[in-house]
Amino acid sequence: MWSYITRRTVQALFTLLIITVLCFLLTRFSGDPLAQYAANPRMSAEDKAALRERLGLNQPLPIQYFKWLGLALQGDLGQSFFSKQPVSEMIAQRLPNTLILMFTTEIVTVSIALVLGILSAVKQYSATDNIITSFSFVGYSIPIFFSALGLMLIFAVQFKEWGLPYLPTGAAVWDKKDPVEYIKNLILPVSALVIVQTAGYSRFVRSSMLEVLGLDYVRTARAKGLTSKVVLYKHALRNAALPLVTLVGLDIPFLLGGAIVTESVYSWPGMGRLFWEYAQRSDYPVVLGVLLIVSTAVVVFTIITDVLYTFVDPRIRLS
Amino acid sequence: MKHKLFALLSLFVLASMILSACGGTATEAPATEAPATEAPTAVATEAPAACAPAGTEPIAFPDGGKSVTGAFDQEPDSIVPYFTQMSFAVWVTQLTLVGLAEWDDQSNFVPELAAEIPTTENGGVSADGLTITWKLKDCLFWSDGTPLTSADVKFTWEAIVDPGNAVATKTGYDKIASVETPDDLTVVLNFAELYPPWQTLFTQGPNNSGAILPVHILGGQTALESNDFIHQPTVGTGPFVITEWVPGDFMTLLPNPNFFAGRAILDRVQIRFVADSAAALAALQTGDVDWYPNYSEGDIATISALEPDVKLTVVAGSDFEHYFFNLGRVDGVDGRGKADNEGFCPFKDINVRKAITLGINRQAIVDTLLSGFTAVPVSQWPNTAWTNTNLTVEGYDPDAAAALLDTAGYTLGADGVRVGDCNGVSTKLSFNFETTTAPIRIDAATAVQADLAKIGVEFTPIHTPAGTFFGQYVDGGPLTTGNYDMGGYTTGFYPDPYTDNFQCESVPNAEKPDGTNWYHNCDPFLSDLIDSSLGTVDTAARKAIMDEAQKYIAENYYVIPMYARGDVFGSTPRFIFGPMGPQSNINWNAELWDVQE
Repeated sequence: MWSYITRRTVQALFTLLIITVLCFLLTRFSGDPLAQYAANPRMSAEDKAALRERLGLNQPLPIQYFKWLGLALQGDLGQSFFSKQPVSEMIAQRLPNTLILMFTTEIVTVSIALVLGILSAVKQYSATDNIITSFSFVGYSIPIFFSALGLMLIFAVQFKEWGLPYLPTGAAVWDKKDPVEYIKNLILPVSALVIVQTAGYSRFVRSSMLEVLGLDYVRTARAKGLTSKVVLYKHALRNAALPLVTLVGLDIPFLLGGAIVTESVYSWPGMGRLFWEYAQRSDYPVVLGVLLIVSTAVVVFTIITDVLYTFVDPRIRLS
Repeated sequence: MKHKLFALLSLFVLASMILSACGGTATEAPATEAPATEAPTAVATEAPAACAPAGTEPIAFPDGGKSVTGAFDQEPDSIVPYFTQMSFAVWVTQLTLVGLAEWDDQSNFVPELAAEIPTTENGGVSADGLTITWKLKDCLFWSDGTPLTSADVKFTWEAIVDPGNAVATKTGYDKIASVETPDDLTVVLNFAELYPPWQTLFTQGPNNSGAILPVHILGGQTALESNDFIHQPTVGTGPFVITEWVPGDFMTLLPNPNFFAGRAILDRVQIRFVADSAAALAALQTGDVDWYPNYSEGDIATISALEPDVKLTVVAGSDFEHYFFNLGRVDGVDGRGKADNEGFCPFKDINVRKAITLGINRQAIVDTLLSGFTAVPVSQWPNTAWTNTNLTVEGYDPDAAAALLDTAGYTLGADGVRVGDCNGVSTKLSFNFETTTAPIRIDAATAVQADLAKIGVEFTPIHTPAGTFFGQYVDGGPLTTGNYDMGGYTTGFYPDPYTDNFQCESVPNAEKPDGTNWYHNCDPFLSDLIDSSLGTVDTAARKAIMDEAQKYIAENYYVIPMYARGDVFGSTPRFIFGPMGPQSNINWNAELWDVQE
């Protein structure tokens, strides 16, 4: 076990190193951080050259990378080129907001997906199953920007126009210490994310349940005279939900990255917006900082999931 | 295991909520109650009696006070203008840290902290133009009650030119040899050489941003770029003071009790950081925000359809979109202005340049894409006092354009594209046009492509992200390397007409990668003519030079002024703001903002 964990950790470090190189190159080649100043006649050629030197952009790319890596290894993700704030501080400011949005979404998604998936599996090929299946495909196919904007237009803009109680667009200044305000502002972004994610998860639960319901031990349980509820929830669901737990576990690190589109539409001050906002300005210390946090989380959670699997399923051995 | 995982998830959410609640991300400055004797909605015109500050803290927001919320789709980086070139940051600067003077809605240069504008007549501008004397208003105070004096102006200059401070630009300030402060109200700027655009220093205009910095807070410090005050000044000279700023979320501004023109009418201004104009538009419709300042011309029709629930305001700006030809010559002209890449050969013929200019229906672009709100500019400096009013726009004339191309020797080929001889080489009038991915640029380029196809010119638009389009020389940016045929972007008045975009010495090449002559056009006459405008501070003499330069550029069809850009604002009907002009946005007199319920 320990030799496996050591080996995976060493592999993970190499993986992270490669990820940082790729992210660095992609970010640097995506645009010049000083391009926004290019057409500004107030900045002379000397001003631009001085700024480039101060930001270290005049140095060869490998030197820029190793300088950044050297600091990152010491836990210093550097400073934003433009806001001059430490990147770790900027991430710490946004991370709680993203965690609240994404974990709420995950919990709601899993809850709804379980209900819909089980219902769909138990009533296979019935009208209920067909309706759930159709809505799943529709939900899965709708681009998130469309559902997010659509929900806002209906439940915020149109509801107000129709004189009905309406939900906030998220763009107002609201008190984050007021739980009622918080929940009101969470409803639309969470709904937009849930529509897309539930579709995929519910299909997963449905197929998993169908597989389990056809197994011998379920038939045996029924033959023993157990009620269908007990068979379903105590015997079938326990095994059917196992892969779902793994799926959720693997999704957790990605939640740290936030949801760029949803956070943008609803002005949610999270990691996704931080990434997008600074990526547009080619402020690569911020972009790399966010990417490093997310990729480290992915790598770490993958190892943890692998290890946990041995506890969940004794048939699996790590070697 | 599953239960444990869900417990863990719940723990995460709980921890996040606690973190968020404890936050600590906002930095709040203390605020005091408004003095009971002060009329909350009146704008005083008198300075505080006997030179005493009206307060030492921003005026607290009273119950039921007047408040507006703006939406910005970019969060300002540094509010002190010398450390940023970001428009959104400069807009907040206008609300919080003012300069010696500014341009008003009628494009007049009017005093702010200064008592008057220096002129030759009032002795503010010396006969040789090398000494500018500014007089400050009496009884000026910072928002914390500290007197604002000439020492603050002198410190501001010292901070800008101090090599220990990483300012974004020193342009102009580095021409000042010394600053004298004979008394608390007098500042004497001694220039080492003539600097005719002196009005752009320590002042706030359409594209320049100055402000006076507090010596009592920043004096004796260096590396100011990392100073908290630079990022978030909690003491100011503008109508409002920043009292709270939650990164990525919002900022709150409360009235400055010591603002030189009196207390602002509004009791609070909040600025919410949103992702884009679509989010801002929905928020305007629900009244969640009161104004959004950054719509593009392409949004005019959308906002217009929402009136009167959303109010549309479009003001023709002094910026304009221009198309231009790459006129690079690898050998330069008389050894000056050598480019690394040779421009598209047919563009060296004035007839071809003129034909392309006449072959584009610019008025149709203004009428359709800009809903007729702006106009086709006549020259380089539209909507300003520097415009050469004797020039007229040459209208769309495809027949004349075709005739000119015939004269130049380019005849229609079998594929409908003209071919001719250029320096002994058979050349097709087929070339690329490079610009950014902004929607209005895509629409305009598509219209131009169709127009030029009618006269046998194959114009192929290439849209690249701004970061690549304006990329630096070493990264192969098309503009800097001259690796393009035609190009287009927005340029303008900043707010002095001097430009080094036409100088032979500014043509970028491997030795001068930061050169700003992206037309790669070395015309020694034009280059020297524009440079001669730096030889005098006499405005009339400079106007004559600039008139001639505009005429010369127009007659040689070096650039095609396409359309004046519009400043497009969306606001709620309750938000009342003052008039805007080509050189001023809504922030220039924010102390007069009001709400009407």
